[in-house]
Amino acid sequence: MATLNLQNITKSFGAAHVLHGIDLAIKDKEFIVFVGPSGCGKSTLLRIIAGLEAATAGQILIDGVDVSDAAPVDRGISMVFQSYALYPHLSIYENIAFPLRVQSLPETEVKAKVGKAAEILKLTDKLALKPGQLSGGQRQRVAIGRSIVRSPKIFLFDEPLSNLDAALRGDMRVELSQLHRELSATMVYVTHDQIEAMTMAHRIVVLNKGRIEQFGTPMELYHHPATKFVATFIGQPNMNLVQASVLGTTNGLTVEFSGGQRMTLPVDCTTATVGSLVDVGIRPENLMLGDGLSMTVRVVERLGGVAMTYGDMPDGTRICAALPGDTPVAEGAVVGLGLNVADAHVFDASGAVMRRLNAPTLVV
Amino acid sequence: MANATQTKDQPTVRAARRGLSEGWFAWMLIAPALLFIAVIVAWPLLETIRLSFTDADMNSENWVGFANYEKMLQGAKFLEIIGRTFFWMVLSVGLKLIVGLIGATLLNAAIPGRALFRMMIMPPWVIPIAIGCIGWLWLYNGQFGFASGMAQRLGIIDGPFEFLAYKNSAFYAAIITDVWVGTPMVSLFFLAAMQGVSRDLYEAAWVDGAGRWYRFRRITIPQIMPVIVSMALLSAIWTFNSFEIIWIFTQGGPRGGTTTMIIDTYKTAIGNFKFGEGSARAVMIVLILGVFSLLYLKVLDRVNKHYGVK
Repeated sequence: MATLNLQNITKSFGAAHVLHGIDLAIKDKEFIVFVGPSGCGKSTLLRIIAGLEAATAGQILIDGVDVSDAAPVDRGISMVFQSYALYPHLSIYENIAFPLRVQSLPETEVKAKVGKAAEILKLTDKLALKPGQLSGGQRQRVAIGRSIVRSPKIFLFDEPLSNLDAALRGDMRVELSQLHRELSATMVYVTHDQIEAMTMAHRIVVLNKGRIEQFGTPMELYHHPATKFVATFIGQPNMNLVQASVLGTTNGLTVEFSGGQRMTLPVDCTTATVGSLVDVGIRPENLMLGDGLSMTVRVVERLGGVAMTYGDMPDGTRICAALPGDTPVAEGAVVGLGLNVADAHVFDASGAVMRRLNAPTLVV
Repeated sequence: MANATQTKDQPTVRAARRGLSEGWFAWMLIAPALLFIAVIVAWPLLETIRLSFTDADMNSENWVGFANYEKMLQGAKFLEIIGRTFFWMVLSVGLKLIVGLIGATLLNAAIPGRALFRMMIMPPWVIPIAIGCIGWLWLYNGQFGFASGMAQRLGIIDGPFEFLAYKNSAFYAAIITDVWVGTPMVSLFFLAAMQGVSRDLYEAAWVDGAGRWYRFRRITIPQIMPVIVSMALLSAIWTFNSFEIIWIFTQGGPRGGTTTMIIDTYKTAIGNFKFGEGSARAVMIVLILGVFSLLYLKVLDRVNKHYGVK
């Protein structure tokens, strides 16, 4: 049972300003993911929540209590590190028991709590081993076990799956989601991997250059990216951005692409001005063969069900289309790409989105 | 056109072309080092062993079998000297480890001017030991030395005290100087080991509520334990053989109070020209240090395994 509120958190390292007034309200039992490119401040923000770094300004409230100046242990949080941070000289049992040893709990209580955590994490038969004898995934589970035994109000994860191979990352994503359901705890998770963010989060915080670009559910971010940055960061492969000039703003936004193609896009264009340039965002999966944009195919990656088709528009803009796997496109060919105009996103010169009017209803 | 991936012939390939087998080529490569070891280490060692079975002095040299060893082991002072040498070693190494650990911990702390402090601990190790000893001789001087003056001021002694004139005080004075000389290196090794401990371990423990002392006991010490053991055993070997300080201070006196095995060996062989008896003592030191070296390898292996070092 824990809510987490960040109020105007700023952080500077000397002249370098890393975080610029972060405001965030996280509900009880939510699984929140901070995502963003390297250097965006996500790990710093997590460390500030943990108490490992002091914020330059702002307040941190856990369950409404200001813990900005409290020691990490007094905040009721636990943290799982990217490096696992396991003690190599201690057995798995003692690694998990470490926080309980610090509290000088009686051995019977330690045994019961470690046993329960080991059972949840399927580590019961590994308790006598040392961390060096475990695989990467098992080590990460031990690190999680050390968090669980403290029964914290909030779990913090700092890129916990970064050191695992792709297959293991997939397994661990599922395990972490299950663990969240079992523990019903508030979790804050940092990653640079948008797939982790999309698959695990209730809500995602997209950070860029120390500022929150957008805070919303994965599908909100996918269907209604607030900025060009979010649009290109969320979604795999990345959203295509094609420049166009505005021809009209009545009954939608009428634009003309450099190849002369014209489209009327159903977006809120109250801020648009005729003659200005906009970026039209089109997800690769929304493109199909047909009339519309022209592309000279450079590379076709056939993944079975999907043929990732990369090419250039006449003005040199690179574009990607996720076409059905058996689409007969050849490298070097010039193909036409059509799209449902309702799927197009439009961003003004500042990178802000013009809200789509006919976007699909969000299911989650 | 030359293939970009083509590489030059390996040395072994070139050696094969010149008619040398791989085995001979390998021996050829290590021959200079082998020659060096043979001349500098093996020959003097074998010669010492040979001399230990003779009554060699300035005039003659006769084969006497184990007579030198029997005489040494039956000598009234031999056990006393061995005991003193071990006491010297244990006390000095113990102090070096404790002071070195404290020093490394302080130098590892995030304090302003840390780099300056790190440089300041180096002089005892860097300056020639004889010069350092001259400084300490002045400190221990009864008439105008710092130690005697300070002890008088603090009311510990009534009048001037010549530290190097009495058996016990000379022995402990030499130990203090030996610790002064030996601690910087121990500190630097500990410091390097401490800096190798992942910051995440400390932060994870901090989040779990572990205080400084708890983190030091449960993380720092176990993490640097392989280095502590290494330094303990290596330092034990070096201290066992420590010669210069005692020789400069007291030459083993007063009344043999600072005579350790190495001093006794030197005095017997070089001072009294009893090369045979001196060599027997030297062989005894080699045997003891050999046991230490074997112990070092065994203990280090076990410690590395226990503390999770691969």
